[in-house]
Amino acid sequence: MKLFLHITYFEWLSLWRSNTLKTLLLIVLGAGIYGIFFGKFEIDKQQQKIEQVKQHEIQQMDSLMAWVQLDTTSIQNKQKWKQAASPVGVGWNKHFTYFKTHQASDGAGLCLGQRDLYPVYYAFNVSDLARQVNTAELANPTKLLSGNFDLSYVYVFIFPLLLIALFYNLYAGEKEGGTLSILQAQSCSLWFLFLSKGIVRVLIVWGLAAILLTLGFWIQGISIANNLGLFSQWAVIISMYCLIWAAVMACIVWFRLHSALSAMIGLSVWLLCTLVLPAMLNLFVLANETLPNRTEMLHTYREMNGEIWGQPKSYVLKEFYADHPELNDGDTTNFHKWYYASFTLFDKKAVLLDVAFETQVMQRNALIDKWIWLAPAAMVQAQLSELSNTDRASHLQFMKEVRAYHAALKKLYYARIFSNKEFNLQDLQELEQKL
Amino acid sequence: MLRIVIKKEFLTAVRDIRLQISGAVILVLMLTAVLVGKQGQKKIQQQRANAQAEMQEKWLSQGNKHPHSAAHFGQFAFKPKPVLSFLDIGLDNFTGISVFLEAHKQNEVLFSAAQDSNGMSRFGEMTAALVLQFLLPLLIIFLTFNIFSKEREEGTLKLIHAQGLSMRQLFFGKVLGTFLMVLFLFVPVIVLAYCLLDQDSAALDTHLTSKFLWMASSYASYFLILVLLCVLVSAFARSSGLSLLVLLGMWISSCVILPKAAANMADKLYPAPSQFDFRNNIKEQVKNGLDGHNPSDVRLNELKQKVLKEYGVETIEELPINWSGIAMQAGEEYTDQVYDAEFAKIEKIFTKQNNTTEWLGFINPYLAIRNLSMALAGTNFYHHTNFARAAESHRRKFVKTMNKDMEVNHKPAIAYSDYKVGEEMWSSTAEFEYDLPSTSSILSRQWRSITALGLWMLVLLALSTIYSNKIPTI
Repeated sequence: MKLFLHITYFEWLSLWRSNTLKTLLLIVLGAGIYGIFFGKFEIDKQQQKIEQVKQHEIQQMDSLMAWVQLDTTSIQNKQKWKQAASPVGVGWNKHFTYFKTHQASDGAGLCLGQRDLYPVYYAFNVSDLARQVNTAELANPTKLLSGNFDLSYVYVFIFPLLLIALFYNLYAGEKEGGTLSILQAQSCSLWFLFLSKGIVRVLIVWGLAAILLTLGFWIQGISIANNLGLFSQWAVIISMYCLIWAAVMACIVWFRLHSALSAMIGLSVWLLCTLVLPAMLNLFVLANETLPNRTEMLHTYREMNGEIWGQPKSYVLKEFYADHPELNDGDTTNFHKWYYASFTLFDKKAVLLDVAFETQVMQRNALIDKWIWLAPAAMVQAQLSELSNTDRASHLQFMKEVRAYHAALKKLYYARIFSNKEFNLQDLQELEQKL
Repeated sequence: MLRIVIKKEFLTAVRDIRLQISGAVILVLMLTAVLVGKQGQKKIQQQRANAQAEMQEKWLSQGNKHPHSAAHFGQFAFKPKPVLSFLDIGLDNFTGISVFLEAHKQNEVLFSAAQDSNGMSRFGEMTAALVLQFLLPLLIIFLTFNIFSKEREEGTLKLIHAQGLSMRQLFFGKVLGTFLMVLFLFVPVIVLAYCLLDQDSAALDTHLTSKFLWMASSYASYFLILVLLCVLVSAFARSSGLSLLVLLGMWISSCVILPKAAANMADKLYPAPSQFDFRNNIKEQVKNGLDGHNPSDVRLNELKQKVLKEYGVETIEELPINWSGIAMQAGEEYTDQVYDAEFAKIEKIFTKQNNTTEWLGFINPYLAIRNLSMALAGTNFYHHTNFARAAESHRRKFVKTMNKDMEVNHKPAIAYSDYKVGEEMWSSTAEFEYDLPSTSSILSRQWRSITALGLWMLVLLALSTIYSNKIPTI
């Protein structure tokens, strides 16, 4: 043990005194800090969008609450009052546009994942949801393709390079520097010596990783104390990942090759894991398993639309009342009841379609998941984005929340619409509570 | 003498087991990418063409209805999968693929493949471009990092010099020998790719051959640039190790780090508005006029007075034509103006962002070839907006046809539900057809990348000619 400490101490000293190590560490540290700030910048940008729509929503609701209390003797006031009190809206305008926002969870700024591909909020009224969620945030596809330079990127792609740079001449450096024979003359075994040298390097990389992770939490304002679980999960995943790379490099060093050759082999393995294998997997799955044609969904919507408008009102209402007996008052001619009932039928069918499409998509993605172990970099990236709730699954979860919210809002509206009642202040207050 | 040097370099490379292996791996990767990629492109294009035909059929067989109802029923436009996208997938997985065309509004081009995929899509698809832009340069580095330094370290450089061979000759001999080796890998793949272009491909893109040739020659010049650069570094590096370190550092920073950082930086430099602001602006302007002082009811009233005067009547009921048809078309055209203005703003911002990475081609040849290759493959941002514009112009045409018919033939006395037209009307609107941009229009937009590659080549050739005689022999 004493010998081990002795070796590690002097190895550390000699490493630290060389400018190469300092430069390398500084570069990676710089990249990491850039990544942390970049992630923060992106999340802040999304947060701004979220706050903007939330503020807008509250303002609008405040106006409605003021309008519903207006004295309706003047025509102007009457119009405003109607806008506020009529659950069916005025003319073709619906009563209110709600916003459901997708709040970033703690740690989202450390791994932005797929979050930039999806809208961070949906805007909808109580008509059918299906046709209101086919939107996309304005984004430059070139940026989407380049991806995000966040902390997870630094860990997954750049840390292995650091390990390669630290390990490639572990053996060859001594040999080419002429110091190998001196080491062989020592009393301890070469094996032990190189193991100690390797451990020092791993410790250095772990140290840097820990510093960056702490900085990441600190700069992005995520409390470590409250997110101890998150912090330790990140720490475990990253240290394991670094260890795997160290093991790979140790295997390469084992062959006692020329330093340039070791570096090349290390780099080739890196390329294989981070680029070639994932890209190959994508070639076979993404490019060749065609996605379901979602346009069919839009087409089905318009067919349904034609069907709903082409049939007598009772056709829609009868089907609707079968599902919602509590709203059935026997009225099959009222325009508003028919109109809003049609939205519900619409969503009912749309959800079935959506499930069918989603199943197809999942099947295709499952094919990738089945082979993802071939690409450890992609695997770690996927794990980190799962931890940060920035993967596709998290967006699907958000969609579920949107549906539930929409359903809850509808309940209030439909109760009023189907009893020909108007909203009063209490109703609006109740709606405001839900915002 | 030069020929001997070229031959020697080529043979050394071919006989080196390490290069045999990496060369073989690269060749296999490229061949797989090209074969499987072409198959995928064909499949996706087939799917889209079928969907387009199916939707056209649905449009024709929608039955008898009012023309305005038909405009609401709408049409679809599917983006064709560019033929050369199998060589360079570019932005294709991150842009929408189809758009619903209907009355009154411009919809977005939706359903990008990336949205339906898990995080893996960020790792890119294996295409020839990926190998040519990323991996082949690495092979070039491995071929050349010690091409001079090794001879210097082994003392053979002085011997060769003593044979009467000038250093300049030796330098260009080594450059050409290496370049030959690269072409040895590159040409078969390019030839295979060209052979895969069948009749369907030619029908989809009439400029295929010229785009293909431009692409092939751009890559060839990219490789020559890299070979020159690497051999230069090796010629002046103190040791092989240092030369490798410098070259790998350059590779990592220019192929891995800079492209990502550049796109992120550009996004900060030219921030895009949010979807919320964008939609609100449009709504606001449609309501209050482009200048904010021309509200929609005033506009409509002005139009009404004009039409009434034209026909010399007092009221709308007296008009021999359908007022709603005119009003709707006028509204449509006004909205179009607003959309055009707002979309132009966004497009300008994105183009500025993209131009930033194009300018960076002058310091990073990887970015220059990436942008040029994507453009020629038909998978860059320009191609996406070009498609969106074509789809929009198609929408305007058929909506106008519907409005015109309503204006002229739907007499005021007839109720909306009683005026119906049928298949004859539907088939009078042309089917959506989209031609991919021509080679010249692509190249003229890529002048930055082309100039960057040209400049790199010239500067490196000049540096090589000037300094190659000063290469130290020991």
